[in-house]
Amino acid sequence: MTETSLPATAPGLAAMAETMPPGRPRSAARRTAWTALKYALLTLGALIMVLPFLDMILGALRTPAERLARPPVYWPRDPQWGNFVRVFEELPLWRWMANSLGVTLAITALQLLTSAMAGYALAKFRFPGRTGMFRFAVGAQMFPFFIFLIPWFFILRYAPLMGGNDWTGQGGFGLLGSYAALVLPFAVSWYGIFLMRQFFLAVPDELLDAARMDGAGEFFIFFRIALPLVGGGLATLAIFVFLYHWNEVLWTMTVTRTAPDLQTLPVGIYLLRGAFEQEATKSLQQAAILVSVLPIIVLFLALQRFYVTGITSGSVKG
Amino acid sequence: MARGIAGLGGACLALMGGAGAAQEARTIQVATHYTPEQAAPLEACFDAFEAANPGVTVEHQQTAYGDFLQTILTSRVGGTSPDIYNVYSVWVPQLASAGVLEPPPADIAEFVAANYAPATQGAVTIGGQLWGIPTELSVYALVYNKALLAEAGYTEPPKTWAELREIAQKITRVNDQGNIDVGGYAYGTTVAEGVHPFYAQMFAAGVPPFAEDGRSTNLTSPEAVRILSDQAALFADGITGNEIVVDNFVSNAVGMQIAANWNKFGYQEAYGEAFADTVGVAPIPTDGPGGTMLYSFLWTVDAASDVKDDAWALLRFLSEPREGGLSCTGEAMAAMGAFAGSDADLAAMTATADDFDRAFIAEVTEGRAVTQPNVWQASEVDRILRGYIDQAWSGGMAPADALAAADAEIQAILSEQP
Amino acid sequence: MRGLLSSKAAVPWLFLGPVVVFAAVFFVLPVVFAAYVSLTTWDSLTPPRWVGLANYQYLFATDPIFLRTLWQTVYFALGTLALGVPLALGLATVFGRSRHQGAWRVLYTLPMVTNIVAIGFIFWFVFRQTDGLLNRLLGLFGLPGPGWLTDPSLAMLSAILVFVWMELGRNMLLFAAGLASIDESYYEAARLDGAGRWQLFRFVTLPLLKPTVLFVIVTGFISGMSYFTLMLVLFPGTQGGPGRAALTTGQYMYQMAFEDLRMGRASAVSYVLFALVLVATLVQLRLLRRGGVEARG
Repeated sequence: MTETSLPATAPGLAAMAETMPPGRPRSAARRTAWTALKYALLTLGALIMVLPFLDMILGALRTPAERLARPPVYWPRDPQWGNFVRVFEELPLWRWMANSLGVTLAITALQLLTSAMAGYALAKFRFPGRTGMFRFAVGAQMFPFFIFLIPWFFILRYAPLMGGNDWTGQGGFGLLGSYAALVLPFAVSWYGIFLMRQFFLAVPDELLDAARMDGAGEFFIFFRIALPLVGGGLATLAIFVFLYHWNEVLWTMTVTRTAPDLQTLPVGIYLLRGAFEQEATKSLQQAAILVSVLPIIVLFLALQRFYVTGITSGSVKG
Repeated sequence: MARGIAGLGGACLALMGGAGAAQEARTIQVATHYTPEQAAPLEACFDAFEAANPGVTVEHQQTAYGDFLQTILTSRVGGTSPDIYNVYSVWVPQLASAGVLEPPPADIAEFVAANYAPATQGAVTIGGQLWGIPTELSVYALVYNKALLAEAGYTEPPKTWAELREIAQKITRVNDQGNIDVGGYAYGTTVAEGVHPFYAQMFAAGVPPFAEDGRSTNLTSPEAVRILSDQAALFADGITGNEIVVDNFVSNAVGMQIAANWNKFGYQEAYGEAFADTVGVAPIPTDGPGGTMLYSFLWTVDAASDVKDDAWALLRFLSEPREGGLSCTGEAMAAMGAFAGSDADLAAMTATADDFDRAFIAEVTEGRAVTQPNVWQASEVDRILRGYIDQAWSGGMAPADALAAADAEIQAILSEQP
Repeated sequence: MRGLLSSKAAVPWLFLGPVVVFAAVFFVLPVVFAAYVSLTTWDSLTPPRWVGLANYQYLFATDPIFLRTLWQTVYFALGTLALGVPLALGLATVFGRSRHQGAWRVLYTLPMVTNIVAIGFIFWFVFRQTDGLLNRLLGLFGLPGPGWLTDPSLAMLSAILVFVWMELGRNMLLFAAGLASIDESYYEAARLDGAGRWQLFRFVTLPLLKPTVLFVIVTGFISGMSYFTLMLVLFPGTQGGPGRAALTTGQYMYQMAFEDLRMGRASAVSYVLFALVLVATLVQLRLLRRGGVEARG
């Protein structure tokens, strides 16, 4: 559990390719055979990764008649590109996307702030309770999400003085049915605190002390001096948190069942099951799902390099 | 959200002692499992009600049927519940015992007593207590594909299970991969698609799945074991399989299945002009006295609603017969190929019914259909039973063992009933 | 404010403040609350009734299916690891030596950024028995097309396959990063000793990669043990797959809590599952630490 096992940034794949052993060939023939085999396997694997998506696209393009034909038609003869437009008319896809984006960004911002502040305190101050707090943050990571599912629901439900509740938590519906219910329980990441602490450990104390000598306030030092020095760590954490919460389903579904206005993209498409469940309309279901995954895939292609770094360095938390 | 704000406003006004002011703007939230298209006739009536009652707004909220009970329960726990639910009758014991439902006022009780058949009233009554106004009536029967039966050389639907098996065997066609392309008989993957046909077959055999008081099961009866064994034999002998399901009926790929009348909408959409010549309905094949299962949905009002009087007024408005014969509820049901429960609605519907509807209505009017017992924790009970039915179908358990295990598990739940 | 800040002892607590408040409300309170609820019978609508350890006793002595869900959960968690880890490791090894790896990487990591619900839907279609992509492909080779999602003996395996597919890219990246951190000199030395390709992998790569391997296993196990979103989508309307064959303990708990309103029993399940995960994690962390030491030594 010591910090030595955490490299500040893990090398991305690009760097990795250069450092990998080139694989010294024994003979030209063997090398050719090996290369052929290797690429065959890689291609096969890549096909396995991509085919399900292509299958989904073909599905979205089928006409109801093609779906109902026996045996069903696989290659759409009259591709229904209009399905991709129709789903926007029939489903609140924009609303779901906006909710997803808003909630995920809010969680990410909150986690960055709380992680950085707590990580900074744990890394840069010596005070009674420091070890205890650190151990708490490490230990808390071991509590799985499902333990909190039921209690969170009721804590938000009975939040005093919120959503029509009186001070004893009765009378209204608390924070359920509000964006706060989607964001607040995820305001702190124990892992994030741990990660940011590692990054702050690398910030030299002398720098902070020098600022204190100059009479700078503690918050000034934190925001203006320490924080800019751990930008890499913040970026890593941000990517990690953003992706995790962009895909979060269970909690959001539990608290937004009766608040359709708050539903996020994954929850919305989960409940699609009820919307286009007839075989004849399943093309629309498939179109909606494709539309829902597209923005993040595009974002991913654009930010690939950062993303890979985030995942790999985010991993080393032992 | 709107209701949240309204609730907040209401609380503030109450604090200020301005009881009269709360009359100003009232919103009635109505939750159903109907899609916006299906609910369109209701929406029109909502507008009419709003026009007749200034200050009242009616909002429709669609909830996926599969998640509906869960939605009611979580929303209830969360205090964000709608004012009116259209609930499935088997959910009522649980909802009523938890205090979720408001018992109807006397005038509504009189209205139901005067306008609904005893069997239908039975579906919405638990232990003598009425809980709402019946809406959608669903009946099970054997639905068959006339064309497929004719191809196999049969002009009449089966009357006994042995006949059903014989016909189904002739219809079933297997593809190169060993999968059934066209199935003589089909089940479905959801809990209801396995459990409801089973219950219907039990009623047909003359043995209800649960005792009258809902405190014990008849799942270990010889009839139950025989029914499940016969079902499992269809799987074991390759006459049906997991690959062919009730959803495939619209693809001319299923010969027969036990299905509810509300599927009509989907069949009509798929077969269009050919609907009447393709889809046939018959009583459930059995060696017993015959019979089937019926269940009902009902309009109920949330006990925590702050607009209860308005809610009941709206429900009565929706259920009363109108000039054309059909009530608002009846019109909505008719539009989606379902039946409404009131005598007037049923009469109006029978007048215009096609063969498909008439066959289903006959199950009710000729007294074959029996109300599904509204047992305790019904969704949990059904889920458990479906699990064991699957085991028997797949050959993982002998039918008798599966039913014995299901009985033990379900018995434990029924005995929790207060 | 100024005075508070200059008081040295208070400064770190100002930074920790939000976290402490959060920990009290969203961590300590829930953990205590869940523990209390697990000792009661509570339908969440009427007041809870104290029943002591009856819920735990029920789970282990009476509940006909709880132990089965535990077994199915472990099967899922271990199955995804047994299949996924060697596959990801093999791919990472091959990857490291291929050109155009940017393009490969995109393809293999596509599922990482696709949300789990969409993946579930996609595979629901791929796995359809008569007209799904998978059985169509098998049909091309004259192979039979099983009911991936409807056959109780295959249901969980299908979920495992999807999970492996989904996690492959992430695990591969982790292994690739681990491989990149191995110093080339180890390979040089081994080659001088006449080691072949397999021996290099067996005696150099694998031992040095042990920390990464263990990390992937530990995190994979924890997430696998509490997983069920995928099953919700793959087996719609069945509440746990055919014959409940894909019912994991997590989903069982969710059903108990939010469908059957058995909050007490559900809380007991969450604590049992937690205990199980905790023990397994501690064991694995011990191994992890040892692995780490070995790798550096």
